[in-house]
Amino acid sequence: MTTTYPGAGGLAVTFRDVVKVYHPDIRALDHVSFDIDRGETVALLGPNGAGKSTAIDTMLGLRAPTSGEVRVLGGQPAAAVAAGRIGGMLQTGGLPEGAKVGELVGLFRQLYRDRRPAAELMRLAGIADLGDRRVERLSGGQTQRVRFALALAGDPELLFLDEPTAALDVEARRNFWRSVAKISEQGTTVLFATHYLDEADANASRIIVVNHGRVIADGTPSQIKAYTANRTLRFTTPAPDPAQLLRLPGVADVLVNGDAVTVRTADADATLPALYGLGLPVKAMEVGGGGLEESLIALTSDDNGAPDHGGTRNAPSLERVG
Amino acid sequence: MTAFLRFEILRSLRNVRFLVFIAGFPVLLYLIYAKQHGTSEGLTVAALLMVSMATWAGMGSAMFATGPQLARERQSGWMRQLRVSPISAPRWFGAKLAQGLLLIIPGFVLLTALGYGYGHVHLAASRLGLLAAVLILGLIPFCVLGLVIGLVFDGQTAQVAQMLTLLLLAFLGGIFIPWNVLPHVMRDIGQALPSHHLVQLGWNAVAGRPLHVSDMLVLAAWAAGLGAIAIWRWRQESTTA
Repeated sequence: MTTTYPGAGGLAVTFRDVVKVYHPDIRALDHVSFDIDRGETVALLGPNGAGKSTAIDTMLGLRAPTSGEVRVLGGQPAAAVAAGRIGGMLQTGGLPEGAKVGELVGLFRQLYRDRRPAAELMRLAGIADLGDRRVERLSGGQTQRVRFALALAGDPELLFLDEPTAALDVEARRNFWRSVAKISEQGTTVLFATHYLDEADANASRIIVVNHGRVIADGTPSQIKAYTANRTLRFTTPAPDPAQLLRLPGVADVLVNGDAVTVRTADADATLPALYGLGLPVKAMEVGGGGLEESLIALTSDDNGAPDHGGTRNAPSLERVG
Repeated sequence: MTAFLRFEILRSLRNVRFLVFIAGFPVLLYLIYAKQHGTSEGLTVAALLMVSMATWAGMGSAMFATGPQLARERQSGWMRQLRVSPISAPRWFGAKLAQGLLLIIPGFVLLTALGYGYGHVHLAASRLGLLAAVLILGLIPFCVLGLVIGLVFDGQTAQVAQMLTLLLLAFLGGIFIPWNVLPHVMRDIGQALPSHHLVQLGWNAVAGRPLHVSDMLVLAAWAAGLGAIAIWRWRQESTTA
């Protein structure tokens, strides 16, 4: 049952209508679909509990989806793992007590049949000087880098990184992403989960935004940013009327919470005078920008209702609230 | 698998607590009691106790070599990292079993050396060889038991669970105190335990008596039963964890 996919070497990941239910009430993944082409560097962006780790775990074969199809490098995740074709850096992961870093790296190089020279591997992960160190004596950031080395040991075709920079300082973080870029240039497909917005923007060629187990936006960083080139107006006014506000020029959607109003507009210069023209007692006006951070808050705000999550790479869509 | 086995053994040998467990207590007890005069089970006290303590050290090594560490590493996430590497479940189990069995050797060597040097036990080489073979094969169920405990308990409780299990097995199996002084109920329980049958095989080997197939069958049954539990736990964890 081999399927031929377009593009060089086909798809790295196919996620088709995947559902993962841990508990009748908890849907970690709720009909998630996306494809990842070979060579892409994709960020899975979302707040804690959005379903990022669950998605990565299913792609690594650590969890079975409740329903739907997960294919990795054209086959079952377990087959890709057994063949040593994928590398994974999990969100949590202690290192085995009593081992030295060099021994651990050596073990993984052997498990992956010496695909990447030890010196290159240690340098890539930034642990060249830690070979003789016992793992118990590593700092959090050093542990993280060792785990990165283990994920790279097999020179994988596909690399999964689940919140990889959580314990790294600024300098280590910069070096980390430089190494990821290098690996990506060598042809490795990279999928990383993060809730650092700047990280997704700076290091991914594509961002999949997830929340509550659903894909709510999928596109290039500039597409996602363009979408929120919109301005956000926040103000308070007694007994606001959403329908009235929605009719203002440029307004995309309106969120009302008691007296607090959030208006998203494509044309703040037109909306603002019209708003004041209504003669409402508007107070505490704030005009927000449209950075990626803003867009993530917008896209994952609980009050936005559940937007369509349909197919892959749909333009992000928000339902009007009013 | 050999790379993994070497890695695992190397770091086990750096675990001082483990080394004390596998050798410290049996050696201490041997030094205290081996000089008593008398015979039991057709053996001098020194020879009988050498077998008992070697068996106990072996049970401890076999179980502690893998169990508590496995529990801690399931909890720390290391096992998940390992599952993402190409090492397969059968190779992992094979290496863990081999690790437990190989780590029996230091305790066995230590106790027989004490038996010869301190207890003046003199055995024909063939009997000593038979004892070694009995212990290595007979300790397989204990290796698997260590894995089962490591796969069932968490990092905090596995150590205690191992210790209690080990003490119960030794006590009810007749390794610490002569079996025939135990109350009936305890003897009935002891009779079903692998420790009892293992030490019987050991004593018979050293005394030059025939080894009972029934003892071997009980040990094999324990190995099979515990193995099934270990595989079941492994599968359960790999699909739902």
